[in-house]
Amino acid sequence: MRDSHWIPHRCSRREWLSRSGAGFGLMALADLLAAESPATDAGATDRPTPPNALRPPHHPARAKRVIFLYMPGGPSHVDLFDPKPRLTQDNGKPFPLEKPKLERTKTGNLLASPWKFSQHGQSGTPVSELLPRTAGCIDDICVIRSMVADNINHTGAALQMCTGEQAFSRPSMGSWLTYGLGTETQNLPGFVVISPAAVFQGAQLWASSFLPSTYQGTLIRDLNQPIANLHDPSANLGRQRIKLDALRQLNHLHKRDRVIDSELDARISSFELAFRMQQEAPEAFDLSRESNATHRLYGTDQPATELFGRQCLLARRLAERGVRFIQLFDAPKNNVWDHHSGLREELPKRCAAVDQPIAALLIDLKSRGLLEDTLVLWGGEFGRTPTAEGTNGREHHPFGFTMWMAGGGIRGGQVHGATDEFGWYATEEIVHVHDLHATILHLMGLDHTRLTYRFAGRDYRLTDVYGNVVHHILA
Amino acid sequence: MKNFLFIGFALALLGTEARTAEATVAQKAKIWWAFQPLKQLPEPGSTEPSSIDTLLDEKIAVARLEKSPLADRRTWLRRATFDLSGLPPTPDEVRALLEDDSPEAFARVVDRLLASPSYGQRWARHWLDVVRYADYHDADPKARTASCEPLEVWRYRDWVVDSLNQDLPFDDFVVLQIAGDLLTNSTGETNNPSLIATAFLLNGTWDRGDADKEKMVSDMVDDQIDTVGKAFLGLTLGCARCHDHKFDPISNLDYYALAGIFYSTHILENLGTKGGEITLKRVPLVPRSVAALRDGLALQLEAIKAKLATLEKLSPRIATDHPERRMLEADRDALQAELPPPYPSALTVQEGGMPGGLFPNIQDVPVHIRGSYTRLGSVVPRRMPTFFAGESQPPITQGSGRRELAAWIASKTNPLTARVIVNRVWQWHFGEGLVRTPNNFGLTSEPPSHPVLLDWLAAHLIEDGWSLKKLHRRIMVSAAYRRSSGGPRNQAARDPENRWLARFSARRLDAEAFRDAMLFVCGKLDGAHGGPAGADIRSNRRSLYVQTARWDRSNFATLFDAANPDASVEKRLISIVAPQALFMINHDFVQTQASHFARRLLREAGDDEAARVDWAYQRLFGRPAQREEIQVAHQLLAQSGGPETESAWRDVAHVLLCSNEFIYVD
Repeated sequence: MRDSHWIPHRCSRREWLSRSGAGFGLMALADLLAAESPATDAGATDRPTPPNALRPPHHPARAKRVIFLYMPGGPSHVDLFDPKPRLTQDNGKPFPLEKPKLERTKTGNLLASPWKFSQHGQSGTPVSELLPRTAGCIDDICVIRSMVADNINHTGAALQMCTGEQAFSRPSMGSWLTYGLGTETQNLPGFVVISPAAVFQGAQLWASSFLPSTYQGTLIRDLNQPIANLHDPSANLGRQRIKLDALRQLNHLHKRDRVIDSELDARISSFELAFRMQQEAPEAFDLSRESNATHRLYGTDQPATELFGRQCLLARRLAERGVRFIQLFDAPKNNVWDHHSGLREELPKRCAAVDQPIAALLIDLKSRGLLEDTLVLWGGEFGRTPTAEGTNGREHHPFGFTMWMAGGGIRGGQVHGATDEFGWYATEEIVHVHDLHATILHLMGLDHTRLTYRFAGRDYRLTDVYGNVVHHILA
Repeated sequence: MKNFLFIGFALALLGTEARTAEATVAQKAKIWWAFQPLKQLPEPGSTEPSSIDTLLDEKIAVARLEKSPLADRRTWLRRATFDLSGLPPTPDEVRALLEDDSPEAFARVVDRLLASPSYGQRWARHWLDVVRYADYHDADPKARTASCEPLEVWRYRDWVVDSLNQDLPFDDFVVLQIAGDLLTNSTGETNNPSLIATAFLLNGTWDRGDADKEKMVSDMVDDQIDTVGKAFLGLTLGCARCHDHKFDPISNLDYYALAGIFYSTHILENLGTKGGEITLKRVPLVPRSVAALRDGLALQLEAIKAKLATLEKLSPRIATDHPERRMLEADRDALQAELPPPYPSALTVQEGGMPGGLFPNIQDVPVHIRGSYTRLGSVVPRRMPTFFAGESQPPITQGSGRRELAAWIASKTNPLTARVIVNRVWQWHFGEGLVRTPNNFGLTSEPPSHPVLLDWLAAHLIEDGWSLKKLHRRIMVSAAYRRSSGGPRNQAARDPENRWLARFSARRLDAEAFRDAMLFVCGKLDGAHGGPAGADIRSNRRSLYVQTARWDRSNFATLFDAANPDASVEKRLISIVAPQALFMINHDFVQTQASHFARRLLREAGDDEAARVDWAYQRLFGRPAQREEIQVAHQLLAQSGGPETESAWRDVAHVLLCSNEFIYVD
């Protein structure tokens, strides 16, 4: 059994190709390249390269990473980025157009925004007085006022925003991107989700679904304990090193009969990587290494902005270290942007919590030269009705709402698309969620029609059979 | 725009385009292997090759491969024991096999393993992957909403375990899950297990409901069609929701013919208010009279409590000794004393459409144009897909049609059902199926590597009365299953994916077997059977009873590639990532097991260092320790405080639990 020509046989196709020198012709090379391109990956379990190894994009990328600032519950577009004089004028009057068939609850009459808008920056883009600091960065921002989504409830709409599908399990945007591109860091997860409280669709929003689980988002709930099992509660690293050395020796003895097994090798290296992560990851998550000035910039020194400020600052540190997709949920608790009531009191509170941190993130990324190739995306699963729910609230509204993008490959200082004069329907240059996804993939160097994964007999995409890149917003 | 108009016009002129494509699917389907009748078993005395090994050997010869020798008995036993029970063999079991030189030795082990209750616990998990089983939506018990959480669905999991342990014929296993509520015994009553089995249909991904209740109902129906199609038939029926299936002979009409069956069945008590929560359908598992008695008393009690509450709100406040109040309180106390404890109930489906929904009756439903209930087309009579079941089917006149659907699927003449389950069982033994897309036998799937063998196994399954245990036995005593996972070097290059099975494919343990094995070797595994799932992986119960929550993807099982319960999972992927290693190094579950193991070793393994190491190897790997391995342990002991300290032995145990040999099975 220990004869040198006896080997175990769990070798991958690539191993075979790379080890069998004879007959390694052009066909084999083509196969090999195909095997490494996720766009043609047939869902093989035996992945030829480490799952997070860097993979080339389809075309030159404008952005290398994404920071998605997600406002769970659905922020009100007509109070923040889409001013509607007509709403003010017709405040309290019935909505004169036909409402869509699908309504969640009957809302009342038109409700003027209680807040003032003014123009900012050289672009003169109007922004609500609730977001003064974001307004200061408006020339870096492209405001998309013509977003539409298909679902009127949080669960379905948030799923669509994060995975492209409303009802069934699909890989999330971050999973698709790490699957497509790999990650630039092997010491940190490639897809990080920071959500202090549970959001109520839970892990489906960052699931890898049928993609290998290595592509699912790593959830950080407690910013002080960001990665699970990172610390050995009982022993020091020195003692651990001794154990890992013994482990490596035993694994090599075990492998001796099984010399070319990629899985065994991968598992041996995974322990070494884990050891390095214990040393390096804490540094990545250690906000105390930032200067006081930086902390003040992000507002981590003020109670109102502390939590989201820390999330944004951490996002920048992770972006610097090569994490591919960082999704922040503004979630001191669940669904804080869901203003069915208490709009006049609660919306200003939310804005105060995120405005300074978000502006700080943009400024900080820019000053470090990172904004050029970091795509920052802001929004929730939908907007809110221009009509009133009760006297002081707004209902869910997927028919026309606002998101914004900044950074890598985006032409800042512009407004794209429009809703009607009441802010109800998107009317011009409509951007469906699928279009948004197609555009994000495009900026990251991926063709959304070619980034596929074969599962249960068909090729799946983030954009299903839909999606058009919104070229107009690109720099 | 002009271009599109032109293309549209050209297509309309051509007109035949679409029809040609259709004809092609039908033509291809007519000759597609999976849709042909099963090949019958050879007549007795025939010279056709007719055993697993002869059928495999033919192909191995064609591929000019050299077969690996049979694995040694220890290797085979570890493989077989993990396969059937999800646990490693004990040293006694190893010894017993080594000492048994009768020709029946291997068959005896297989029979012993099949007779153990661990078999059902192990194989239920495979089936639960296929049926998207989850114990809960919310991982946090305090956050669960009773009405819409599948709190009683564990009874279904236990039913699967029991059915497998009792070797319930697979055709019955199918029928009960689709239509168990419609089957009555001689006294006209439905057995509880039959009711419980139908939870198969309701354990889907919907959570608390959706504002768009009609869409939610249509998604539930879609989930049921999709899961039934994939799990039993290997057909992606769900693909025909919005249009004719692009690749398989399943039309949009076929879809709504099936949808009518599920629309005529409901899984909810009610839809809930708009935007509000749904209430899952529950039925008592006690005789109706017993349940009615308690329900009646509970209602009376509620009413009295309500009256009392009203009295107490009166202003001015009434005296505590007011006669009316005294009387009500007395009634309340009497009722409370009389009230029997809550009765057990189960989640099941019921005949009849969704009350308050678009289709509230047992009825045929219209085509939903592009899958949306807001645009309805013509009504389609309920029936089976015509390509498979023919154009002229007897109309469904009584009930939803689930009975007919179940009978059609579980029929000996259905070409798919037996092939699909046989292929799954093969996959769960060998790592890959003969068809490598177990949920899809349609035209886009990969044809079987061994079509004759697949049919031979399927025909035998039916002949054996659909007994899965007989199928396991047939497979596990074959030479193919006994082969070594090593082999001559050049052979691997000739068949890198091991399609021809000239050798065995070694495999990593799945999450559940891995955790159970750790508990088992440390002497801590609690083999208790059944009941609601618990939240804590630190418990000593088998992993089958540690909760799967749909909204929680950050647990141990997920980390080690357990099935995602959001949809049917045909095969687990294997990922090898650093967070798994971090878990192994630092999680207190593993560290605790290492401590247990060290203490057990110091108690039971004598005083000699080498003998202790050997004792550990026997338990963890089913083999003696080699000299070099004893040397590595010796070094580690010396560096970790010396062999006289418990903590040094804990380190040894910890390293061995982390080792590749522990998590891989040759």
